[in-house]
Amino acid sequence: MAGPLTRTARYDRGGPAGGTGPRPVPALSRAVRYVSGVLARRALLLAVLLAFVFAAVELLPGDAATATSERGESAADLAARRHLLGLDRPVLERFGQWMTGLPTGDLGTSARGEPVADLLSRPFPNTLLLGGLALLVTLVVSLALGCWASARPGGAVDRAVSGGATAVLALPEFVVAVALVLVFALWTDWLPAVTLTDADGSPASWEMLVLPTLALAVPQIGWNTRIVRAALADESKAPHIETAVLDGLPRHRIFTHHLLPGALPTIAAGLATSTGMLLGGAVVVETVFNYPGIGSVLAGAVTDRDSPVIAGVVAVTGVVITGVLLLADLVRTWASGGRT
Amino acid sequence: MNVNRRQVLWAGGGIGAAALLAACGGGDESSSKSPSEKNEKPRKGGTLRVGALGRASAVTRDPHGTQTNESDYLIISLVHDTLTVPGARPNTAPRLAASWTPSDDLKTWRFTLAEGATFHDGTPVTAEDVVWSLKRLRNTPSGASRLPGIKPGNIKAEGTGTVVLVSDYPNAELPQLTRLTTFVLKKDTADKDLGKAPGTGPFKLDWFRSGNARLVRNEDWYGGDVLLDAIEVKIFESPQAMANALLAGQIDVASNVGAVAARTAERREDVQVVRRPNDMAMPIVMRTADGPFADPKVREALRLAVDREAMVKQVLSGYGTVGNDILGTGDPAYAKDIAQRTRDLARAKSLLDEAGFDLSRTYELLTTEDISGLAESATLFASQVREAGIKVKVVKQESATFWDRTWLKGDLYTTYWGTNDSVVFFASKTMVSDSGQNEAGWKNTAFDAAYRKAMGTKDTAERAKVLRELQRIEHDESGYLLWGMADGIDLAAAAVRGLPTLPGYGRVQLQSAWLAR
Repeated sequence: MAGPLTRTARYDRGGPAGGTGPRPVPALSRAVRYVSGVLARRALLLAVLLAFVFAAVELLPGDAATATSERGESAADLAARRHLLGLDRPVLERFGQWMTGLPTGDLGTSARGEPVADLLSRPFPNTLLLGGLALLVTLVVSLALGCWASARPGGAVDRAVSGGATAVLALPEFVVAVALVLVFALWTDWLPAVTLTDADGSPASWEMLVLPTLALAVPQIGWNTRIVRAALADESKAPHIETAVLDGLPRHRIFTHHLLPGALPTIAAGLATSTGMLLGGAVVVETVFNYPGIGSVLAGAVTDRDSPVIAGVVAVTGVVITGVLLLADLVRTWASGGRT
Repeated sequence: MNVNRRQVLWAGGGIGAAALLAACGGGDESSSKSPSEKNEKPRKGGTLRVGALGRASAVTRDPHGTQTNESDYLIISLVHDTLTVPGARPNTAPRLAASWTPSDDLKTWRFTLAEGATFHDGTPVTAEDVVWSLKRLRNTPSGASRLPGIKPGNIKAEGTGTVVLVSDYPNAELPQLTRLTTFVLKKDTADKDLGKAPGTGPFKLDWFRSGNARLVRNEDWYGGDVLLDAIEVKIFESPQAMANALLAGQIDVASNVGAVAARTAERREDVQVVRRPNDMAMPIVMRTADGPFADPKVREALRLAVDREAMVKQVLSGYGTVGNDILGTGDPAYAKDIAQRTRDLARAKSLLDEAGFDLSRTYELLTTEDISGLAESATLFASQVREAGIKVKVVKQESATFWDRTWLKGDLYTTYWGTNDSVVFFASKTMVSDSGQNEAGWKNTAFDAAYRKAMGTKDTAERAKVLRELQRIEHDESGYLLWGMADGIDLAAAAVRGLPTLPGYGRVQLQSAWLAR
């Protein structure tokens, strides 16, 4: 990452993207200040969000003690368990206590008595793997499709890709998931219908990742293809592109050195928003494919009114999304030559 | 013995895959489901992959705790044995207890442990181990309802091979209480070791991870030959995903998967639909203590207004049988000779008239979507009784609210129970005047007397006669409207044999399963 933040010459035609020159200190400290500012704001946002989570669970009918009770459990037993879980204390106090543990990585204890961090330790990496793969597929495919479509604006390919993209971005993940299972598992028997886990708790084979990844990626590909296509179209109207064309530069060179870098900030922002959608969609997709991820933990926790678990999922997901958004911001800063 | 929401937490709605899948069955309508089991010789070997429902957040390893996950319960039942298990006839069969004898007053019961029973580490099972386990079970929060009438101090060992239980009152059906939650562990097993504690069951634990497990055959099982090399249990969050896994050949059995999946699989030649009759009751409860349904004539009218066959057909997709307002339909002692109630709108109307029932009012029927078909049953019921002039509005409640505020208190609501193999079970839990879960607030001295007499009668034939009388009173006057019984439904690959067909707890008895391949 030596180059990105120092790159200033956006119209630099010759030099390789990035450059290798020495790193000026002011730019770096500016970046640090920027990053820490963003982080502070995002952390505050996350705290507010977590407060909302606690409040929302509080507003749901029933509580963790009743939700995890057996039919016919006596009122005294319930009261004892309520006390044990700390549910007889004000929600603000419970939230405060949970939040103070957060910086040390202590996510509290679930209603069933397990440390939340343990509960999330296996499924969360699985979800990150799924989300990461889906993001990667989204990036590659939507870039390829967007570029392909913009090669001949208004052509048959362009119209087909744009139309197709609009169609799939409107599809909910679970519809895509069901269709994929139907076609690739039950009709053709090419891929496994569900994910089964190994002794170590991860998917038993790589093939089991294919359909869930696609189910998550397809709607996002639709969305991002349109963004890539639009960003390229905007960029191609810029004066320097016209200059480049008039200068007689080869098409692919204009594309890789002028069009794409110009469109990059928009593309990065699009992908960053997809991260949230991907992690949200994972909850649904994981259920359809029985994927051993965070989705099932979250769904169960909501049923159990288990605030520490729900908040724990929100916290770790929030941290990941914050990280990706930050990365996207940095890419934008770099691509636009620090003029943000 | 205690029934909870274990069996039924996950019931899937019929959305999504099922509808689409129904279209992809491919051709053959003539379902030749039953594999020709008669002439086959059971084969040894193979790994059976079983899908079972469960939630990752609710995984538990404690055999005496609350297992809300079917997957956990299945694993525990294969690794650990209980004193007795469900049977077909009689409905209690021996397991770790090879036999049992009561005292003359039916208060003291002696259970003799099975010859040659050992733990997976080779040590013999002693009465001390059993006593320790039963006491541990009894001392859990729900222990009192699992071993009712038996104080922890009244569980004792007699020598190495006999366990003595003394009940507070005569209890002819005590061995039935020891079915399938009385899991036996080694004495003084620490809580932290529960997950890997050796059991006595037909299978030994190879590994366990987040609700998934691999179990291998216990070569030394005292209960007979186990044919499968191994059973792999896979946890599934949704019945749809489980059905898909079975149809795609990733698992061999989809346990307790429900009617929606069965409908989907009916057209597939390579899939067996295993029906376990009398698995689940979802009666409508009418409050008898007070409120608009306190008059027996009104309750009778509602029982006559319901179209039972239509309920079974529409709510259960036909996977069930018509009920006769008596709970415990799977019991050998179930009174089949009591005349089946059928729809009679004219009689219902005249009864309502006699009772002076207010037909101008709209009555609320409270329900929840805990299990598939429950809310649907309420809706269909409401439209049926409208034909008798009763206006019923269905109110769906969120599960926690329902159990907190409506259950045991409401005037008119739906409920459900998973163990239907015992008339006495329901009598003692939900109908005797002082029972803790008296859903309809029913108090009937004749019924109580019949119950007490049945529990104190040693002679089986004599007891059956009293039990019939008990059921007649229940049929005529209780607060229950039992329109039908849902089948338990498992899906299995073509090669699977020897799956259990008993209702309720019987579903986990996989020790005699084998693979014809």
